[in-house]
Amino acid sequence: MAKYIVLIRSNLRKAKGQTAAEFVLILLAAAMMNLWLMLSLDYRQNFDRCHQRLNAEHVAVCAADNSEGVREYISQILEEDSRTAEYYMDDVMWAQGSIPYNGGEAFTNFLMMDKQSACSRPIGKIEFVEESEFAKGVFLPMIFKTGELAVGKNVSFTVGNHTLSYQVCGFFNSAMAGSHNCGICEILLTKEAYQELEGKGYAQSSTLVSVRLLDKSGSEEFEAMLNHKIAEKYPNIPTTSNSYALVSQSRYISQMICSGVISAMACFVLLIILVVVASNIINYIQENMGNLGVWKAAGYQSRQLMGMLQLQFVSIAVVAAVVGMALSYAVFPGVNNMMVSQTGIPYKVHMQPELFLITLAVLCSAVAVTVWLPSRRIKKIPPIDALRQGVQAHSFQRNHIPLDRAKLPLNAALALKTTLSGMKYNVTICITMSMLSLIIVFSGLMLENMIMDMTPFLNLVAGETADACININAGAEKEFLEEMEKDSRVEKVYLYHTQKVGHIGGAELIVNICDDFSKVNNQEVVVRGRFPEFDNEVAVAIKYAREQGWELGDEIRLGIGGKETNYLITGFTQLSNNLGKDCLLTRAGYGRIGSLNDLSYYMDLSKGIEIEAFNKELSRKFGKKANQTQNIYEIIHGISVVYISLMTVIVVAILLLSALIIVFVIYLLVRAILNRKRKEYGILKSLGFTTAQLVVQTALSFMPAVVASTVVGLVGSCYIINPLTAIFLRDIGIVYCSFRVPVGFVAAAGLALIAFAFLAACLMSLRIRKIAPRSLLA
Amino acid sequence: MKEVIYKTENLSKSFSSGGIMQHVLKNIGMELYQGDFTVVMGASGAGKSTLLYALSGMDTPTLGKITFQGQDISSLSQDGLAMFRRRHCGFVFQQIYLIDTMSVMDNVLCAGLLANRDKRALARRAKELFHAVGISEETQRKFPTQISGGEAQRVGIVRALINSPEILFADEPTGALNSKTGLDVLDTLTKFHGQGQTVVMVTHDMRSARRGNRILYLKDGAILGECNLGQYVHGDVKRHGKLSAFLTEMGW
Repeated sequence: MAKYIVLIRSNLRKAKGQTAAEFVLILLAAAMMNLWLMLSLDYRQNFDRCHQRLNAEHVAVCAADNSEGVREYISQILEEDSRTAEYYMDDVMWAQGSIPYNGGEAFTNFLMMDKQSACSRPIGKIEFVEESEFAKGVFLPMIFKTGELAVGKNVSFTVGNHTLSYQVCGFFNSAMAGSHNCGICEILLTKEAYQELEGKGYAQSSTLVSVRLLDKSGSEEFEAMLNHKIAEKYPNIPTTSNSYALVSQSRYISQMICSGVISAMACFVLLIILVVVASNIINYIQENMGNLGVWKAAGYQSRQLMGMLQLQFVSIAVVAAVVGMALSYAVFPGVNNMMVSQTGIPYKVHMQPELFLITLAVLCSAVAVTVWLPSRRIKKIPPIDALRQGVQAHSFQRNHIPLDRAKLPLNAALALKTTLSGMKYNVTICITMSMLSLIIVFSGLMLENMIMDMTPFLNLVAGETADACININAGAEKEFLEEMEKDSRVEKVYLYHTQKVGHIGGAELIVNICDDFSKVNNQEVVVRGRFPEFDNEVAVAIKYAREQGWELGDEIRLGIGGKETNYLITGFTQLSNNLGKDCLLTRAGYGRIGSLNDLSYYMDLSKGIEIEAFNKELSRKFGKKANQTQNIYEIIHGISVVYISLMTVIVVAILLLSALIIVFVIYLLVRAILNRKRKEYGILKSLGFTTAQLVVQTALSFMPAVVASTVVGLVGSCYIINPLTAIFLRDIGIVYCSFRVPVGFVAAAGLALIAFAFLAACLMSLRIRKIAPRSLLA
Repeated sequence: MKEVIYKTENLSKSFSSGGIMQHVLKNIGMELYQGDFTVVMGASGAGKSTLLYALSGMDTPTLGKITFQGQDISSLSQDGLAMFRRRHCGFVFQQIYLIDTMSVMDNVLCAGLLANRDKRALARRAKELFHAVGISEETQRKFPTQISGGEAQRVGIVRALINSPEILFADEPTGALNSKTGLDVLDTLTKFHGQGQTVVMVTHDMRSARRGNRILYLKDGAILGECNLGQYVHGDVKRHGKLSAFLTEMGW
């Protein structure tokens, strides 16, 4: 071992900068890989841990009735079903409404519970994160603790047409009812506040059924069955529900996006490292041919010299990986803070030795294999050849750029000669720049479709976008439409109502009902086929359709409360609202299995119209005929802020990382070229070439590969970016992405990337000034 | 009266090695003349090559002044010196130093195109020079590793002369060659000197030194003496005797 250390120290002394650059690249890869593993394996399990800790339900159904008869019926169903492990029923008040969230609003189903009752539940327990002793007020799920709401502050939220104001007494965790995007959102009230609200009658006294199953994987089917049976017996009792499968995914959308991007970046940096390490080993053998000869002559065996290289590079990898993993633990709280406003479940960063070992093993074995493959050349070099500096591998049979016939200026021609004589450098550059091009296109895509204008992203994931929404009783529809017809502030009004419907033999689906789908703003919802037009047609989520093996033209059976009928699939949709479990029906189509007691109408208002004031006016005008209004704009804003801030951080981080990678890769390449061509630069300087000319020549020598790979990379990335993004978003029900690729941005960024690469190459090549022609004397 | 092409005043060059200053050139004051074939001789470590590299602008003096055709070059920046070298100087090195990745022709044009943008005229001159030193067209297309040492050094001379420099510096040009090819190289240098080329050559080889018309003897960084041998005539025995006597006097 001692002899290896002597040789390694000698190598490292000669290549301090190269070692440092490799160290930083491995460190970055380790940091990202560990982050990725933490996010995709442990962070995701945080929900399961929370679920288990709180003995949370696998299926929760809230029925808008608290009579004994209903409860007995539900008990009977649950008792008879062999899948039920345990269940519990609670008194709750249910109302739809909106609450401040991330500078906007969140619209959801509020289940308001008495705090003391909630604390005594055996299933679906809650845990307080912050608690105060205020006598009257509300406790909110952690997800709403976004800065504007804090303990002691007042919160105003709407239930139906009414606005309630309470002091915030604390925040709590709830696995299944702690988010605005899970169908059910609990709000706990102090005894006095609960009794007061009960007296007002703003919310429907209801029964919350919490069921734990023996096998949680069947939660969706169980939810559909329970809803179906309740609707069958009590068709007029509305229900809202959720399942373990839905909640465990919908609370981790940001985690999915984040870990997807980080995993891609980790793989990218790892690939760059492997290319760089392989290139460095080849250079090492060329540059140290004499030394290798001396060591072989001194009795070192080839395998010992290869072992020495293994030890050198793997040691660097081990140290860098450990530091990188420490870095990932340092940045993880920041990543966690970004995501907690979407997950709503606090995560405690903790040491994970198994992930540590996986990262270490992957990186070190990848480096070891990459060192071993090119270092096998050492075996083939007899000591005498090594001592004579080896046999020139290049035959120089072809002069690709004869200077007497070249049309290029001298420096460009010489640069091109260097380019053609260093194909392995070009391969490294091409891989790096192609990957960076993909990053640029991805950044441009996110900038254009998310950060600067959220509409395309919202069209993809949020479904229908409008300014305002009102839910009215069915009997008031005619009056409402006549009023809207007269109102000059309303540009467009159309039915867009959401209900639940059961796929017979399958899952519960969200159904969006519309009179005429050509009126909806988001025409991109249907990605294949067309919207339903007749009462026997349906468009279903493509993710669910794929799971079921459906094609366009197939018939499916949908039903509500015992009424079932067949529909012809005319189109496939993609929305992330229900994580890919939804469908579209015309009003007439829905009418075949159910009736609408209330209707949600979406409205586009003229520019400059105050949405909040407009909604209040509508509520006043229609009184009890209007159940509630929604400021869709604010709701979208509330949701989008999480994704915009997350994506902004991701884009900035990956662009900075890309710049860092270019600098390190070019540094390593320039260093290799300078070492290889030190004598040549000395000769050229003695002939009268200035440092500036040689710097530009060196930088230019990278440019053919840089420009070609950037152009090809950008063009190729423009074609593959949407399918790739769809892969990242597949878990939330997205199968096709049709984001606009910002050609102008991509072109400008591509030019900037090329210019940056040239500038970085020039800066790194400034080391040429240290090469004195006088060194030829030595 | 010969025209002074180079003049040095108090030219000194010191190197620091391990904290110890070594004074390689000490207060050298001398002149070099247009059209001369000046040979700098001296024992190893006398400072011959250091003097050559200081004169040619490859290195800067520690103290003193070097003027070339009246222009002070000792205060030029590194880039200024590079410009000076490309416009006024040609170099022939002991180790030849052709660039392995370029063809013979490209090695020459690479230097030529630095100072001359007329590619056709340059290619013509290169061919003339190649013809003059006996390098065939086929050899011009080869790479340095494919030609002999003598051929390579003659290519080096062509490269040095491609820009028609005012002065040609040669640092032990035959040092790495066998006697036959060394003789060819010396004949080539003599031929160009005969055509009016100013040459400064460093050597410790008497056979090479005989080609010069002016011999400077350097010892411990200072010029100890000089000897004028007159125009070179092939087979002149007296010339050899005169040089031998001078070198004996210098302690050679």
